[in-house]
Amino acid sequence: MTDVSPSVGALTAEFGSAILRNAISCDHSIVYVTRERAHDVLAWLKDTPGQEFNFLTDITAVEYRDAERPLEVVYQLRSLGRKADLRVKVPLDKTEPLQLETVYDLWKGADWLEREVYDMFGVTFVGHPDLRRILMWETYGEGYPLRKDFPLRGHFSRAEQVRQALAANPEAQYSLEELALAQSMQDLPADMKERLRRGERGLVP
Amino acid sequence: MVVEPEAGGVELSGVSPNWVTTRLDFLTNWARSNSLWPMPFGTACCAIEFMATAASRFDLARFGMERLSYSPRQADVLICSGRLPFKLAPVIRRIWDQMPQPKWSISMGACASTGGIFDNYAMVQGIDTIIPVDVYVPGCPPRPEGLMYGIMLLQKKIKGETFTDQDLRREQVLDEAGMFLPPERVDELSEPFGNSIHQTRSG
Repeated sequence: MTDVSPSVGALTAEFGSAILRNAISCDHSIVYVTRERAHDVLAWLKDTPGQEFNFLTDITAVEYRDAERPLEVVYQLRSLGRKADLRVKVPLDKTEPLQLETVYDLWKGADWLEREVYDMFGVTFVGHPDLRRILMWETYGEGYPLRKDFPLRGHFSRAEQVRQALAANPEAQYSLEELALAQSMQDLPADMKERLRRGERGLVP
Repeated sequence: MVVEPEAGGVELSGVSPNWVTTRLDFLTNWARSNSLWPMPFGTACCAIEFMATAASRFDLARFGMERLSYSPRQADVLICSGRLPFKLAPVIRRIWDQMPQPKWSISMGACASTGGIFDNYAMVQGIDTIIPVDVYVPGCPPRPEGLMYGIMLLQKKIKGETFTDQDLRREQVLDEAGMFLPPERVDELSEPFGNSIHQTRSG
């Protein structure tokens, strides 16, 4: 049994009542944070010296069988320098709209992770630059598959699902331009730009 | 020797099989069945078995299939090895439409044939709801021997074809309604072949 992560005490001292509670599961510290302060807490965890959770391992969500329990959005953080982990959970009351502020501005890797949570659970991340489905196709109209009220075989009949799938036009949503490197060229590091300029194999001696 | 009615070929609807046509059939079917070029559509573990079948130990080249065609334009038989999610359904249909006649398809494994254990919202319950299928190979995944038996069954089927039956090679293009059948019609067609949980496909 490991001790509570030192980040938990620091968070409680900094944010007070915004830290709902903490727990330990499988040697991992878990911090429960209110929805309103979630972005502040995550930004503080990323930028504060001594915390430096600079790597966002995963974003996912949990919905429990008990209908009264809130849906929880889970952030798994990692500090690469300190070799420390922290799990932050944000409970979302299911009677209200499932909305949460995006953390795309903190970790660029949150882009597809938040899209996946949106696709599977229907959590809307406010401020996300491109919030649309990522696993299911874009015209998918049956809802959010990992919610507990979603039937295993979907809402529509098999015949209707086949009809809709065949009517889907993949090219309309995924164009080659979307995959073009040109748009993200300015974001690449200098050495990669140089390698791309010289071609994949580099200069022939 | 495929006669395409819409391509302005010879109209053969009135021709009944006779000595000439059966000799021609024998020749074309012999050539076709021994030079099938497969278009691999591998989506899951069945594709691993398909690779093993194509590799040297089992050696698909013995059946004239050593040339795996990675372009649908030069393929004869579409081998769907693995589960097919609904998201890939328009893709495999597009590939099937791009393949020129004559063409056949093999549904390899339980998932491709019936949906297998994936009786859920994301998975096509049998690729025969998307494209016509000639041979179903059971197994999870089938061993290479199983796939080769399916291939030999397909060769046997090809050897029984005749060009006097034009319906065999007529291209069926999907209209905007897709392959949608009314639920009663689906139940009627698939009654014995639904999977073990819900016995008919339309449910």
